This record gives sequence, structure tokens and C-alpha cells, in this order.
Amino acid sequence: MISNLPQDFSPILVQFLLALGFVIFTIIITHVLGPRLKSKQKEDPFECGIESEGDARTPLSVRYFLIAILFVLFDVEIIFMYPWAVNFKSLGWFGFIEMLTFVAFLMAGFYYIVKKGVLDWERD
Amino acid sequence: MYPIISLSVTGLLTLFLGFSENKKIVFPASIAFLLIALATAFIDWNAPGFYFNDMLQVNNTSIVFWAILIISAILIMGFSEGFERFEFAQPAEYFAIVQFSLVGAIMMVSFKNLIMLFLGIEILSVAMYVLTGADKRNIRGNEAALKYFLMGAFATGILLFGMAMFYGATGTFNIGSGVFIGGDNSFFLWIGCTFMLIGMLFKVAAAPFHLWTPDVYEGAPTIFTAYMSTIVKTAGFVALFKVLSTTFSGLQDFWWIMIAVLVTLSLMIGNIGAVSQNSFKRLMAYSSISHAGFMLLALLGDHENALGSIMFYSVVYTLATISAFGVLMVVSKERIEKGRVYEQNDLFKGLAQNNGFLATVLIIAMLSLAGIPLTGGFWGKFFVFRDAASSGLFWVIIMAVLMSAIAIYYYFKPVLLSMSKKTSLESITINPLAKFIFAITTFGTIVLGIFPWILRSLF
Amino acid sequence: MSLIALIPLFPLIGFLINGLGYKKIPKAIVAPVGIGAALLSFITTVLVYFQFKADGQTIIQPLFDWITVGGLNISFAFQIDQLSIIMLFIITGVGTLIHLYSKGYMSHDEGYGKFFAYLNLFLFSMLLLVMGANYLIMFIGWEGVGLCSYLLIGFWNKRSDFGDAARKAFIMNRVGDLGFLIGIFLIIRQFGTLEYLSVFEQAQGLEMGNISIMFITFCLFIGAMGKSAQIPLFTWLPDAMAGPTPVSALIHAATMVTSGIYMVVRSNVLYTLSPDTLEFIAWIGTLTALLAASIALFQNDIKKVLAYSTVSQLGYMFIGLGVMAYTSGFFHVITHAFFKALLFLGAGSVIHAMSDEQDISKMGGLWSKIKITAATFLIGTIAISGLPPFAGFFSKDEILAHVFEHNKAMWALAMVGSFMTAFYMFRLFFLTFTGKFRGTKEQEDHLHESPSSMTIPLIVLAGLSIVGGFIGFPEIFHLPHALADFLSPLYDGSRAVNPEFGLVHLSHSTEWMLMGFSVLLAAVALGVAWFIYVKKETQPADPSQLGGIKKVLADKYYLDEAYQIAFVKPVEKASQFFYSTIDKKAIDRVVEGTGDLTSLLNRLSTKLQTGSTGFYILVMSIAVAAILILNMGTEIADQFFSIFNAQTK
Repeated sequence: MISNLPQDFSPILVQFLLALGFVIFTIIITHVLGPRLKSKQKEDPFECGIESEGDARTPLSVRYFLIAILFVLFDVEIIFMYPWAVNFKSLGWFGFIEMLTFVAFLMAGFYYIVKKGVLDWERD
Repeated sequence: MYPIISLSVTGLLTLFLGFSENKKIVFPASIAFLLIALATAFIDWNAPGFYFNDMLQVNNTSIVFWAILIISAILIMGFSEGFERFEFAQPAEYFAIVQFSLVGAIMMVSFKNLIMLFLGIEILSVAMYVLTGADKRNIRGNEAALKYFLMGAFATGILLFGMAMFYGATGTFNIGSGVFIGGDNSFFLWIGCTFMLIGMLFKVAAAPFHLWTPDVYEGAPTIFTAYMSTIVKTAGFVALFKVLSTTFSGLQDFWWIMIAVLVTLSLMIGNIGAVSQNSFKRLMAYSSISHAGFMLLALLGDHENALGSIMFYSVVYTLATISAFGVLMVVSKERIEKGRVYEQNDLFKGLAQNNGFLATVLIIAMLSLAGIPLTGGFWGKFFVFRDAASSGLFWVIIMAVLMSAIAIYYYFKPVLLSMSKKTSLESITINPLAKFIFAITTFGTIVLGIFPWILRSLF
Repeated sequence: MSLIALIPLFPLIGFLINGLGYKKIPKAIVAPVGIGAALLSFITTVLVYFQFKADGQTIIQPLFDWITVGGLNISFAFQIDQLSIIMLFIITGVGTLIHLYSKGYMSHDEGYGKFFAYLNLFLFSMLLLVMGANYLIMFIGWEGVGLCSYLLIGFWNKRSDFGDAARKAFIMNRVGDLGFLIGIFLIIRQFGTLEYLSVFEQAQGLEMGNISIMFITFCLFIGAMGKSAQIPLFTWLPDAMAGPTPVSALIHAATMVTSGIYMVVRSNVLYTLSPDTLEFIAWIGTLTALLAASIALFQNDIKKVLAYSTVSQLGYMFIGLGVMAYTSGFFHVITHAFFKALLFLGAGSVIHAMSDEQDISKMGGLWSKIKITAATFLIGTIAISGLPPFAGFFSKDEILAHVFEHNKAMWALAMVGSFMTAFYMFRLFFLTFTGKFRGTKEQEDHLHESPSSMTIPLIVLAGLSIVGGFIGFPEIFHLPHALADFLSPLYDGSRAVNPEFGLVHLSHSTEWMLMGFSVLLAAVALGVAWFIYVKKETQPADPSQLGGIKKVLADKYYLDEAYQIAFVKPVEKASQFFYSTIDKKAIDRVVEGTGDLTSLLNRLSTKLQTGSTGFYILVMSIAVAAILILNMGTEIADQFFSIFNAQTK
């Protein structure tokens, strides 16, 4: 019998609790049981060689992030194309025009980005 | 329906207007676009109907709210002076975002489907996150924007979770039919209802989900503080009402006490918290929390009246808030300290002597917010109290009345300061547009204080 | 708009013009507007009289529904009947004359426009008082005339003692008004309406001596005590002489102070139902008449003498009412309005001539200097003393005859008062107009007869004082008692509830005897006064040198001082106590405590505002959890257990 009442999910819940409990238990127990030695040398990122200098994290140009985000944005929009492609026939001309509108908006956004110079790597 | 299309298109247009040589054109064009949207709103007047596969519902009620939202936006944008004072300003983008955010607000007041509600809330919220950080070089603004975004995302998560639960329990996103407790799914329904309410209560800054409010209000540029305290609040309350009065009306016994407790909490935290605030914007933030409490009161009463009361309250609150923030904007630009405009309460010291007009506007706004008779605020409070009284919630009303008494204390702080003899201000310049907007808001407050029925009898 | 509504409308318009245009409109227009308003009102009254006389029915003129609360409906309506038409004639008639007189009297005053505005406002209020068709409108008028009286007593507001006198009048009236107001509430409670017609109709169905009617009439009478200056609320009236003399004549002699009598006559059904109240009224009237007359014996201020005389005459009116001789009491109101207005205006003329001197010990021998004033003043004096055939004789004698029938002791006391009245009035007359001039040389040089705008009212009023009594001949003269016949319909209700009402048992011989006796007494008093002040030329003594009983009388029985100790001091003490102890120590503490509590809570609530986003989200999460648990803790537990239950099955 297929049913989706809450109690039908109980095995999953039990499984989840067990898994979670095991993880928490392991983390705590290793912290408690594991022998530890703390010293400056031991906490250093490198234990030998030259002294470390500066920050481990070097700042990246914000353009990387911008381009990454824009990529994700346009990439995700493509997802809409798939269901449309599948239902292309049943949606007919109406669907086609809707999709054109959507793409037009997208293109407007793209044009805006280009015009704004976000993709100019060598600006400034 | 038409304003959504109109605003989407004109928003895009505004973006491209930013590329034009003449930057000055953006401001009048944006106001014109908003007016066009206002005009298109009335195309559907007396022609109720559904759009987008029953996802949006348009009727006269929603058109009235569209008009309120768009007019509020116009009034607030009137103070922008084209954002010429902003350093690194991108006026076109700001105006475009304002227009897009209105699309969200309009969806929030006319949704028929929870997906539309979610979309509306998100469009409005994301726009607000960006606008909060509009003053890019202001570290407080950046902090506020990030805080708002993080907490807003958290609240959105809760809201979406609630919707999912609701869908799980009922199998539909449509809010058309009421749902009732009973059957095996009621547990999911309960959780869904609670979480959805929490998500929306966050947006309208009701306690205990108010913590973002003072920080964000203070950090954001004043013009966008005014925007979020009026438009977001109005749209949020209408959305809350729509959800509670339709699909959740069958669950009234369940959420009723919860809302009543939150009303009390909002009133206490809002009013008591405002007492010691020195920053005018923080004061207004707490005031906004307490007004959320008052407007929630209306939801506790009879649904026949509640929408009218919420509408009236939003309008008078919007008018008074625009006046108050408007005066702050006009006056604070005259006093720059450490490269920032000075926005403490004592900015208003001696305002009455310096500029009687601004002082009058400020005082009437404060009186209205405090709910003194002959201002609209009094009737706003009166209507929500009456609604709450009809449901017999006297302990909440007593609390609300007590808290209104405290409110008088802090609303009178700027009033008293403005009356003092000493002034630290030079002569203040007001541009004619701002003067015109002040005239509208102040006159509106007084007229609604004397003839409340002209608005209240709309529905 | 009917004629009736116009009567009070004219003075109101006059008030608005002169009041709003004060200091803006030229002086030449002020007086015509003020006098014109009064005159138009008088003319309208005459027209209304003919309209009323045509069918003789009471006219009710509703203007609008005023207050509708629950079952209580109070309309704003005017009532025209025999009583109100006579009052209208007195108010507008005497009022017009006094307005005219004021034109001359006040001509040198700065506040000329203000004065006429106030006078018009007074006329308006007084007209409301007598025209109202229910007790509430009467009360509005009642309060309105109180306000105008206050404003006009303190008219010369640069002198603080005048201001004190005004306040005294106002406060004492307020004491009375409280009683009046309670009376109105009791009427609403008893009858559920305030309209005269319906109250009196319902009252006719009640028994004599009904206890709630007694309370109503008593409370209403307390109002009358204040307004008509009866013991113990009379001390304001002599002080009220601080106001300009036309005010004293109009408000504090002819009209406002008689509104108490008007009220009793208006509510005669209620009073007839309550013999106890009537008895009380009669004795209060007697005592007031005697007390005031005795004080007047040794006063040296010309206006003070007239003021005490007014109090005393008002006492006679209440005696008349108290013995159920409503017509006689009201008759005295009419004649008194004539001769007392005359006397006051005459006094004003004397004061005018004497360059604002009011002390009669500085006067004397004015007869030859100001002949018209003197002659008219003499007419007034004879009229008030009760010598035939002048007006006072008829009305006073009628009252005394009724008193004799009612209670012989009261009659004797009233006769004593009557004797004193004749004595002090002739003392006043002789000291002022005969003998040698005792004032300064400057005053003597300045002596002059008043302008015609002042003497014309004097002559008119003197004429009325002579013939005014003929509207009510005693029965024994075999002439018609016009007033009694006219007023008769008013007492239908009283006749219905008390079959004894209006029956006279006196034989004609007794009446002749009483009349003769009172005329004789007045004549004797005249003789004594003549002997002392003319023959022996006794000078009026300085009050500070008087001794014994005379000093007590001259110092007004120390009543003001007694009131000071009995009422003012304790109130001051109590006020001090409430301020320093109750207010400062108790109430302020509570108020400040509220503030302290608020700021404490404020500190706590703002602690939440750490600024850390993580903390905010933590608080929100806790709140969400709390809501979930509070809202549906049991459901969550149920679900949880049901999972396991299902599992173990």
C-alpha cells in the first residue's frame, strides 16, 4: 500500500536520527579521547622552512565574482528552456511568444551588463 | 495587472536611460513612469477578474491598494532630487529598482496563489536589500544591507518552508478555498500556517522578528528607510490579511492567540524601546514596530471591517511617515558631520523658529503617529481598536492604550525640541517639489483626521 | 424662520457685530447697532404678542432636534405663553431703555464697543432663558446670563477688587447652578423629559407632597437662591455693584436676578405639589427681606443701598411665591423692574453728575441742580416704599395680604421689613437731594443734568413706575385685575393638583385694614426719615465710628467674614493638603514611577539590540521554536509518539 502519512516516514526518521547521533557522538568522543599537544610550532601552518608572511588569503578581483554570478544567472535561465522544449508542441504559438518575451527580457539584461562594462576585464 | 507590465517595461527603460548623456532626465522620467503605472492601474476598475491561470486576482480593493502603493512611491521619490547628493550615485538603477520593487508589492496585494505571494515578497525584498546598501561608501549602510539580506533570507526560508508544508497538506497553492483542521494532514497544515505567518511577520517588522528593523532603518539612506517603512509595510499587511482571511480563516482558533500575543509583544517592544532613542531614524524604526502591532490588532477582529481599517491605517501611517522622514531629509542635509548627514533627534532643535513650515509638518506628523485627535492617526487607531473590541480582546486593547500613552512621550521629543529657542541650524532650503509633497501629506493627515469617512467608506 | 426665533436672533447678531468688530468698527456705529438690536427685539416681541393674543394658545416653536440620547429627546424649541411674553416685554423693553441710557453713560469709556457687545449677549442669554421650551434651554440661558454678569461686573478689569467681585458673583452662582443642574437631572429621572408641557402634564398625575418632587423643587430653588440672591447666597449682589450702573440696573435689578422667580412661576405645578418647599421658600424670602433691609439702613454708598434694597425686594417676591401667590410674586417682578431700574439709572445719573462719586455723605442738595433726575428718583422712592397709587404699592400689598392669610408672624416680619424699606429709601433720597452740598468745590462746579439719552429712559421708567401698578387692582377696588386674568391659564396645573389654589378667604374689611396699616407704616417711615435727615439735618455717619448694633448692620452682619472663615479658609487648607500631600507625595510618585518603570523596561528591551546578526537570528530561532511549542507542543508530542506507536505495532 502506498501511503505518505507521517508515520510512514518513521523508518527514515529513525535512520536519520541514528546517522546524526553517530556523527555527533564521533566528533565529541574524538575531542575527548584524542591526546593533544599545543605549542606555537605545532599550530604554525608550516613547521619548517621560512617564516610565513602576510595573509594566507589573497584578495581576488571582485570581477571574478561578478562574472561567476552572471554566469550562474544566465545558466539558470536556460533551465526554463528545457520544459518549454519538451512541451513545445502543446504550448504552440502562445508558448513560443512567451518564450520570445522571456528571451527578450534576458537579452535586455545582457545588453545592460555589456553596456555597463561589467564584462570589460581591462577597465580602470 | 497592467501596472505590473507597465512597471516591468518602464523599469528596464529607466535602466537604459541611465546611459543617456543627460542624467537629469532620469528623475522626471521615472516619476512619469510611475504616473503611467498609476493610470494603468485603473484600467481594470470595476472589471474584476483573474490573470495568469488564476494566479493573480484583480478587483477594486486591490486596485485601491495599488494606487496607495504607487502614490506613496511617487511621494517618496519626490524627495530624491534625482539622487544628486549621493556620492557614486547611480540614479537610474535606483529608480529602476524602485519600479521593480513596486511590481513585487503589487503582486503581494493581488495574489491568488502562494507562488505569486512568494515571488512578490522576494522581488520586493531583494530590491530592498539592494536599496538599503545604495549609499555604497557608507559602511553603516553596507552593514545594514548585509544584515537585512541575511536575516531576510532566513525569514524567506521559513516562509518557503511553511508554503511547502501547506502544499503538502492541501495539495494546492491556491488560497481560494478555506482549509480546516481535521484529518491526518492537520499537523502539516499547522506547521505550514505558523511558518508562513512568521515569514510574513518578519517582513512587516512585528516583534519578536523585529530585530533587524532599528539597525536597517538607521543604516539605510533615509529615502529608502521611508520607502521600506511605508510600502513594504502596507503590502506586507495586505498579504497577511489575504492569507489569514481566506485560506486560514478556518484556522482562526489556532493563529488567533498567537497573533494576540505578538501584538502585545510588538506594542511593548516598539513603544518601550523607542523611549530612549536619540537617533530619529531608530526612533521611527521602533515606532514602525509598534505600528505593526496596532495594525495586527485589526486582523484579530471581524474580517468585514479589518481590510478597511488596515487600508485606513496604512494610508495615515504612510502620510505621517513620509512627512517625518521628509522633514528629516530636508533638514539633515543642512548639517553634515564627519562626512555624513546628522540624523539625531536634536537636529530639530529650534526648527519652529528657523522654519515654521517644516516644524508644522513635523509636528502634525508626530501628532498623527501618536494618535492625537483631529489627525488621521487618531482614527486609524480608533478603527483598529474598534475591530479588536468587536472580538472581545480587551486585555490587548488595554495594553495598546497604555502603550499609546508611552508613545506620546517619545513622539513629543522631536516636537519639543523643535519648539526650543536655541537653534543650531542655518536657513533651510526646501525645493518646491518637496514643499508640494509636504503640503499633500500634511493636508491629507488633517483631512483624514476630520473626515475619516471619505476614505474609510471606500470599503 | 418665524418671528419668534427673531427675538433672540437680533441681540445675537448685535453681539457678533460689536464683539467681532471690537476696536475695528467706528464708535458711531456701535451704539446704533446695540440699541437697534434691542429695539428690533422689542418690536418683534410686540408683533409676537399680537400673534399670540389672536388665539391665546401656547405657541411652541421647534427649531431643531438638539440632543437625542437613548429615550431622551431634547429639542431646541421656544415656548411663547403668558409668562414668557411678559418677561419678553420686560427684558426687551427695559433692556432697550437701558441700552439707550448706556449710550450716554458709557460714552467716555474705552470699552464702549465691548460694553454693547456684552449687553447684547446678555439680552440674548436672558431671552433664551425665558423663551426656552424646556429646562435645558433655560439652563443655557441661566449659565449665559451668569457669564455676562461676570463679564460686566468685572468690566473695568484694571481694578483687581472689581475682578474679585466678578469672581465672587460667578462662584456663588455656580454653587446655585449645581443645585439647578441636579434638579434637571432629577427631572429627567422622574419624568424622562425636560419639555415643560410634558413634565407639567405628567406632574398633574402625582400626589401632593411627593418626595421626589420635593427634591426636584428644592434643588431648583437652590439655583434660584444663587441667581436671585437669597440667603445664604446673596452677598455677591452688593459686590456686583462694581459693574457699570446700567449693568446694575439691567442685570442686577430688573432682569437676571428675577430669573429665579420666573423659574418658580414657570414650574408652579411642581412647587404647588410640594408645600414643604414652598414653606421653606417663604421663610428664606422673609429672612432675606429683613436681613437685607436692615443692612441697607446704614450704607452710605448709593448703589449699595439700592443693591441691598434689591435683595430685600427679591425676598418679598419669594415670600409671595412661598405662600402660593405666584401672580403676586410675579406682579412684584414687573413693578420692581420698573422702579428699581429707574432708581439705578437715577443713581447712575447722580453719579454721572457727581463726577463718579458714589458716597451719599458727600452729596446733598442736588434737587435744584439736576431736577429731572431728582424728580424721577423721588417717584421711584415713593413707588418702592409702597405709597399709593404708585406701582410698588399694589404689588407689595397684594403679597402682604396673601402672607397675612398664610402666617401672621411672617406677615409681621414682612411689615417690619417694609417699614425699613421706606425708611432707608427716603433716607437715601433726603441725603442725596436735600440739605446742603457736602462734596468738593470741583464736584459742585461740575454738577450738570445728564444728556437726553439718559433722561428719556428715566422719564419713561418713572411713568411706568406710576402707572405700572394699575395692571393689578386689588379685588376690593372692584376693578379688573388684568394681570391675574392674563396669567390665569398658567395655573391650570396647580389648580388641578391643589383644589385650594387661588382661593381667597380674607374679608374685605380685613383687606382694607391691612392696606391702611401698610400705607400708614410707610408714611411713618417717611416722617421719621424726614425728621432725622431733613429737620435735624443729621449727617450720615462714617461707618468706622458707628457702635453697637449699628456697626453690625453697617458691616453687613460680618457675613463676608463668616463665609471667609467657614468656606474659603477650609477650602484653601484642603487645597494645600491635596497639593502638598496627595499630589506631590502620592500621585506624583505614581506618575514618576510609571516613567521609571518604562525606562527600566526600555533598558532591558534595548539590550536585545546587540547589532550582531548571529545573535538576531538566534533570537528569531528561539522565537520560532517558542511559538511552535506554545502553539502546538502537544500536537508535536502526539505526532512523535504516534510514529513510535505505529512502529511498535
